[in-house]
Parts: sequence; structure tokens; C-alpha cells
Amino acid sequence: MRRTVGVAAASAAAVMLVAGCGGGGPQSGGDEKLTGGKIVLGVLNDQSGAYSELSGKNSVTAVEMAVADFKAKHGDDAVTKDITVETADHQNKPDVANSKAQEMYDRKGVDLILDVPTSSAALKVADVAKEKKKLYFNIGAATTDLTGKSCNKYTFHYAYDTYMLANGTGKTTTEQVGKNWYILYPNYAFGQDMEKSFSAAITAAGGKVVGKDGAPFPNTSGDFSTFLLKAPTLNPKPEVLGTMQAGAELVNVVKQYNEFKLRDKGVGLAVGLMFITDIHSLTPAALAGTTYTDAWYWNFDQQNREFADRFQSETGTRPSFAHAANYSAAMQYLEAVQAAGTDDADTVVKGLEGKEVNDVFLRNGKIRAEDHRVIHDAYLAQVKPQSEVSEPWDYVKVLKTIPAAEAFAAPSSACKM
Amino acid sequence: MTSTVDTPADAARPAAPSGLLTVARAPRWLRYALLAAGLLVAFWLPNGLYPAVAVDILCWALFAVAVDLLLGFTGLMSFGHAAFWGTSAYVTGLVAIHVGLPFPAAVLAGALTAALLAVPIGYLAVKRTGIYFAMVTLAFAQMVYYVANEWRSVTQGENGLQGVPRELFGLDLSDDYYFYYAILPIVLLGLLAAWRIVHSPFGRVLVGIRDNPARARALGYPVHRYKLTAFVLSGFIAGLGGGLFAVGHRFVSLEVLHWTTSGKAVIVVVLGGIGTLWGGVLGAAIVVRLEDWLSFSGFETIGLVTGGIFVLVVLLFRRGIWGSVAALAHRWWASRRR
Repeated sequence: MRRTVGVAAASAAAVMLVAGCGGGGPQSGGDEKLTGGKIVLGVLNDQSGAYSELSGKNSVTAVEMAVADFKAKHGDDAVTKDITVETADHQNKPDVANSKAQEMYDRKGVDLILDVPTSSAALKVADVAKEKKKLYFNIGAATTDLTGKSCNKYTFHYAYDTYMLANGTGKTTTEQVGKNWYILYPNYAFGQDMEKSFSAAITAAGGKVVGKDGAPFPNTSGDFSTFLLKAPTLNPKPEVLGTMQAGAELVNVVKQYNEFKLRDKGVGLAVGLMFITDIHSLTPAALAGTTYTDAWYWNFDQQNREFADRFQSETGTRPSFAHAANYSAAMQYLEAVQAAGTDDADTVVKGLEGKEVNDVFLRNGKIRAEDHRVIHDAYLAQVKPQSEVSEPWDYVKVLKTIPAAEAFAAPSSACKM
Repeated sequence: MTSTVDTPADAARPAAPSGLLTVARAPRWLRYALLAAGLLVAFWLPNGLYPAVAVDILCWALFAVAVDLLLGFTGLMSFGHAAFWGTSAYVTGLVAIHVGLPFPAAVLAGALTAALLAVPIGYLAVKRTGIYFAMVTLAFAQMVYYVANEWRSVTQGENGLQGVPRELFGLDLSDDYYFYYAILPIVLLGLLAAWRIVHSPFGRVLVGIRDNPARARALGYPVHRYKLTAFVLSGFIAGLGGGLFAVGHRFVSLEVLHWTTSGKAVIVVVLGGIGTLWGGVLGAAIVVRLEDWLSFSGFETIGLVTGGIFVLVVLLFRRGIWGSVAALAHRWWASRRR
């Protein structure tokens, strides 16, 4: 009989053990100035998939650089010297992003989540930030919903958005290349939003969208031929193929565009969103002459170049605008905490709202209080022909600077804080 | 309190031990003690565990029990149960968002829809057994997946349904800790229902069909109709879990309909012990806890570990964890009686 009791007790204990090991979240530290006595920054992005090149692990490095620079700048006056960086791979899936974001805020004591490319995942994380009342600076995602119907007090949209891209590229290309467009977009929040923004910008510039298709996302086969071959058969024939794919998917679209020689068939190429890393993997020859909107360019001026040199010595590549924006966002957050003397989210938000900023990424930057859109100068850029490329990674010339006030849309009425 | 003799046929069926009988052999006080211990753990769980993980464990426990109802007690291996789990998740989410019902009503609507969906799928699938049954259910589940993927105006496609509310008469359930206790009664009811089904005359007929469908038919039981009923009931319980999962995550993504979700449910059941009912609950606790622990420690290839454990269990402990422990206890009791 005693053994039976033993068995029962052992099995109950085993269940307890399975359930019990670990567990328990970070405890709030009473009336400390900093939660847990330190600042924890969390970088949540794609570290293995289509968007890992343009941001990914190198963005973690950028944030670490910001932490080091912050410590060097403030020395002993810094609000704390205990600043750590946590990171996770959300695989571009909203459900993974959801659980990782919760885990960061609840159990890793993260005060600020950074980056989060992939609009569907970005919107989900905005939800989590609102619910946990913790800060979230989105950099990698483009959807205007982050500052529209999904806006909230704890979410800031930092680097760019679909309006910024469409306004620059859509307008210029319609005026200079052709009025009839065929739009190919990845069928999820980002692509759908891009399609809408571009259609609006094209129509406003006197152009017309003659056809549009949503390709599956993520496109695991990497095959876009059905869409690309369809473009020249449309009536009226589109003069511009507008691809809204990003990262590695964009690389596939452009490769296949070149394979099918669509340019020779009279269909020009416009790219919705492009990062310097994309041009690097495609080689500038494949994209020569393509005009697009850039949020930041590493070789624009001396200040950018100095940052790019440091970044290259750490990572071996030149920074994309997402890398620079991650650096800047982490820095601005740390400065805000320094100024407030606490990492209490509501206090920090109050300090950030309406603040005007100039740094390596933000030129004439302003953190809008109405919708938490961070506005700054954007750039209309063109890929150089191979003959003009004088050094590795210097693939682009900036045609014009779009002033901050014009680059981004006015605050949306859909945003209710 | 039936007792059986181990026939060679039984011994050759290690993947499906007669769970009913091993439990029945244990003395009454031990069963009550185990039940009490189980309930105690269930009530204590979110205190010792990250509450969001505890919520996941409850949902997956229902899912596993639903799959075990078919796999362990009817002898039908469904490889498409994500269809019911996921359909209910979507319906629950849509009802909660657009109608604004309290979440238990939304979950009920989801589970009923899942049961409804199980009728035609089950009707066609139960005509086959074994690998063919598994393939038919998989095919239907994939159909549901692609419908959900393409029907963007309703399901939001790859974006998923965002912002599923946790409405319950104005109570603040935003904290997973309280939400756990709000769904615990529903989950316990679901588990009780599964237990009742298995221990009813109906359940005994199912086990009879599993062990020898020809004899069951000869005895006059309408085998297909019994299987179909089991399939629909299983779909309902899986739907209950899926609906709670949707409300728990406040979000429904296509992942809930993906075939890997069906696969994970089967892994959970095999790990816990096929045909043991409670083994599924234990399996769910272990798998969810393990996956969370691996992901929390920054481990990238979680599938490698869970898959490896699955292979080990299949090779070494075919009865699963619960089944192996129960078999040991069973043997020990038998030797005492002698």
C-alpha cells in the first residue's frame, strides 16, 4: 500500500515539476525609477527569412551601437549603466510575433520593442504594446494603419510608411515613365496598403492602374512568372510594372522581370520599397535607372557616412535605412529616459510627444503628438548605371530631398488615441 | 469493473492499449486521489507558470482529448483536426468581434460550427480506415486552410483576425491570470464530456468497433454511424479548444488551420498515451511547456527537439507517458492480487 501512495505522490510531483520549473515573470520593483533597476531594449524582427538582410541581426548590432554611444556620451551621469538588448526572430508570422512580444514585455522585462518588419506582425505587436502599456517603436513595417485605425498611445511609427513611398515614387514615375500601371503586391497588410497608397498617388498624378494582382505571401516557391507574363498582355498595355514586393521577394521579382525581358517589351519597372541591401544582392546593373523613395541613404552626407563606416566595421556591410533608423530610435528612447529620469512608459511618452529631433537618421524630424508618426526628410533616389558606381555599395544618387512635411500624410482622422 | 486476459492480439496492439481497463483496475481511492491531485494542479497552474502558457495548455488539452477520442477509442487517426480547431477559432473570433457576444457564447458558436463542418467531412472520411482515413481528413483540412486563406474579406488572409475581444459581462479579463480561471470551468466541462462519452455504453461500442469492426457489425451496430457520431463529437471538443485559443490569444492566424497544427495534436496524444484520455492532457502540458521553454531560451529549431522526443516515444514507450505508467501500475496490482 505504501508503494501505491508513493506512485501517486510521484506522479503528482512529476506533474507539478513539469508545470513548475521556471515560470514566474519579472517582478515589478516597487517605486524604483527603472523597472527591474535597468533598461532592456528588445529587437523583434525577421532573422532568417525574406526581410533578414534589410534589417535582421544587423539591426540588433545597430541598437547595441546606440547603447554604447549613449553610455559613452553620458558617462557617470547616465540614468543607468545597466542597459541590455534582447532579441527574437518573429519569422514574419503574426502569431509568433504576438507570443514573442508578450514574452519580451512580461518575462524579459523589455521596456521598448524595436523594429518589427512585416505589417501584419507589426499591427499585432501594436495591440500587445497597448495592452501591456509598454513602448513600441516600429521601424521595419510600412502600413499606415499603425498611425491610423490601429494607433495607440504606446506605439510610434519611426522610419517610413506606404504613403511616403507612394507619394515619392508613384508621382514621379507616372510623370516621367508612363501613365498606365500594373501593380503586383504581396497579399497581406503591407502589400494591400501599398497597393492602395500607390493607386491613389498614381491617379492623383493623372495615371491609371490597368491591372493589379496580389501574390501569395510568403511566396515560398519564389515564382512570380504567372503575374509577370500577364503584364504585357493587358489592354491597355501597362507602361509601368509597379512591384510592391520587399526584401528577398523583390530580388526574385526583379530577376524574373529581367529574365522575361519585360523592359524590351515596353514595360518599365517601378519599385515600391527598396533597401540598399536589395540593390546589393541584385547588382545595380539589374536595376539601373529605377527611381524609388528612400528614407535615408548612407552616402548622402558626411554625418551619414561616418555612421556607415562604423557600422561597416562592426557588420561588414553598409547600413540600410532600417539599420540607421533602429540606431536612431534606440538613441532617442534612451535620451528620453535620461531626460525623464524614469522608464515609466507614460512619462516617457509625454516627453517624446511633439519633440523635434535632428540626428543621423532623422533630418528635420518631429515626433507628432497627434498620431505618433515620426516625420522627417525623405529622398527621391535613382539607381546609378554600373559605369557611375565608383565604390562598393554606392549605388544610388539622391535626386531630391522631400521635406518632412510633404513626405508624410497629415494625421489621419481614423487615429483615436 | 471488467477484467480482461491479455490475448496475443492485445499484446500486438501496443499503440492502442485498452485505456478503459487499466484505469478500471486501479482501486477507487487511488483514482480519487489522482483526480484530486489533477484538479489541484489545474487550480494552481497559473501561479507557478506564465499564465499565457497555462491558458495554452488548457486549450491544447481539449484538442488532444478530442483527437484521442478518435485515435484511441475509435481507432481512427485523424490528420486533419486543425480544420475543426481552426474553423472554430475563426468563427469564435468573428462572432466576438462583429456580434460582441460574451466569449463563452462565441466559443460555443465556434464549436457548434466545427461540429457542423465535421458532419460532411466525417460522413465521407469514415468510409475509409487507417492511412486512407488520415489522408482524407488531411485533404479536407487543407481545403479549409486554402478557403480561409483566399476568403480575405472575412478572414483577413495572412493578416489574421486582429483584436478578438475577451468580453464577459464587463469583467476585466485582460490579464491572462484571471482569464485562465474564467476558461477553466469550460475546459473541465469539455474534459468531463469526453470522459462521459468514453465511459458510456456508446463509448464501449466505439472501443468494440476499434478492436473488431467486423464483429461489431455482425452484432448489429451501425458502424459508420457510430464512427460519424464520434467524429462529430470529437470535432465539437476540438472546436471548444480552438475557440478558447482564439480568445486567449485575442487573435486568429492561418496557423490554426495549418497541417502542422494537426500534426502537433497527434504528437501530443502519442506522447501522453493513445487511448488514455488523460494522457492527452499530460501530453499537452509537456509539449506546450517544452516549446515555451525552448523558445524562451532562444532555441531556434524547436521542431527538432519535439520531433526527436516523438521518435523516442514511438520507439521506446509506445503507450506514451500516461500509458506506460498506467501499465506499470497495472502489472504491479495484478501481481499483488495473485
